[in-house]
Amino acid sequence: MSLENILKDWSKYRRGHEEGGHHDYEHMWGMAIDLDKCTGCNACSVACYAENNLAVVGEEKFSKGQAMHWLRIERYWDEPDLGENRVNEYQIHGASFLPMNCQQCNAATCEPVCPVAATYHTPDGLNAQVYNRCIGSRYCSNNCPYRLRYFNFFSYYEDSWPEPLQMQLNPDISVRDKGVMEKCTFCVQRIRKAKDDAAREQRDVLDGDIKTACQQSCATQAIVFGDLLDEDSVVSKVWKKHEVALGKASQNKANPDKRGYRVLEGLNTDPCIMFLERVREV
Amino acid sequence: MTYGLIPEKASQCNSNNVSRFGMVFSLLLLFFAGSAYAQVPNAVAPKGDHDGKHVEQPIEFPHDIHARDNKINCMYCHTYARRGNVAGIPPTSKCMGCHAVIATEKPRIKQLTEYWQKGESPKWKKVHDLPDFVHFNHEKHLNRFIFNNEGMEVERADEVCAFCHGEIKEMTVARKVKPLNMGFCRQCHEDNNGPSDCWKCHK
Repeated sequence: MSLENILKDWSKYRRGHEEGGHHDYEHMWGMAIDLDKCTGCNACSVACYAENNLAVVGEEKFSKGQAMHWLRIERYWDEPDLGENRVNEYQIHGASFLPMNCQQCNAATCEPVCPVAATYHTPDGLNAQVYNRCIGSRYCSNNCPYRLRYFNFFSYYEDSWPEPLQMQLNPDISVRDKGVMEKCTFCVQRIRKAKDDAAREQRDVLDGDIKTACQQSCATQAIVFGDLLDEDSVVSKVWKKHEVALGKASQNKANPDKRGYRVLEGLNTDPCIMFLERVREV
Repeated sequence: MTYGLIPEKASQCNSNNVSRFGMVFSLLLLFFAGSAYAQVPNAVAPKGDHDGKHVEQPIEFPHDIHARDNKINCMYCHTYARRGNVAGIPPTSKCMGCHAVIATEKPRIKQLTEYWQKGESPKWKKVHDLPDFVHFNHEKHLNRFIFNNEGMEVERADEVCAFCHGEIKEMTVARKVKPLNMGFCRQCHEDNNGPSDCWKCHK
């Protein structure tokens, strides 16, 4: 994206080619997370910490909401008093888990509010964050309905990786400093590598070439990642099977029993992550 | 093909204080070099220069003898330039491949042989160091300007290397003579239709 694009027609830049925008999407990276398979073990979150050089902020800052987990597992408990004899229901069923990482919205609410265009949409359908350009206004974070953007309130790298732990840092992604907003990138360094490999072998990126860190570490393989524009990819098959499509504010399903849904899609953010509802015996 | 350049003296590289003559000299050098780059087909060379300081290396490696006088291709030693992100420093075994028999009595080669016999490699220092937030891939650039470039011969690879590294073959130890900042990269990407997506290079 050049400055020219920003000055000329910023909103147009965010739209796809078919909608009269600038983007002729090369790929549209998307995800499907099966909550019925998710056990809430947090392995994905830990893997994300390791892959993306996430700082560990410590208990005190965590309690102030300054944690830097790009992928967090949200826990939802049933109402304990749903009626007689159902007092202990939450103990019977336990918590429901919802892994939340950046939804990579196609109509992202964080993008148009950035005063310096540090966040923008890539031709891969990713919602990118350029750390060098970010001035830390935190407007994007306030405008994100999912609260999935994290701000570096301190220079965490000074304490997070004392010697010799700095050796574990991933060289393919920068270590962010104070005053910078950051978020899930769908492991863009892995996407970049897969594309380079494919270019070397003069082929397209194949389905399964890219595995995000969370997907790779998921014990129950609840997470599927791939290209939504590729009709044969596993992820687009799952989307189709559960009758969820991009570009809609609500899914009018022929079969209401299909489990697929997108979080807060009524806000017309058009997220690229689809969740499959958990099935319960009541 | 000739560059019409006077070889830079090693003593100039060694001095930290660049003399006025040296500055004029290097400007002239860049001017001539600039006109030489234009001969790479389908390419517009990036513009800009940088006053690179001399970097003290464990052995004063003479790029001029290897690349200019003996016309050894850059990629003979920097093998990974065409295969990966970093061009790579050759292992000592590669040096010894030739220097087990060539110029064995020279002082610098004796130094090298010592390293070799101890089983160590000289601790070369990085000269062209990009910031950690930049993703740069040598392979893609070489493919674009050399291997997939019609009318370009691999023998002239050094002209393409000189886009970002300057006239290394006129130096002994390599010196950074190009700014290698974002403006330098962007301008070349605009001139040569390179990608303009932020996330191509920023990581």
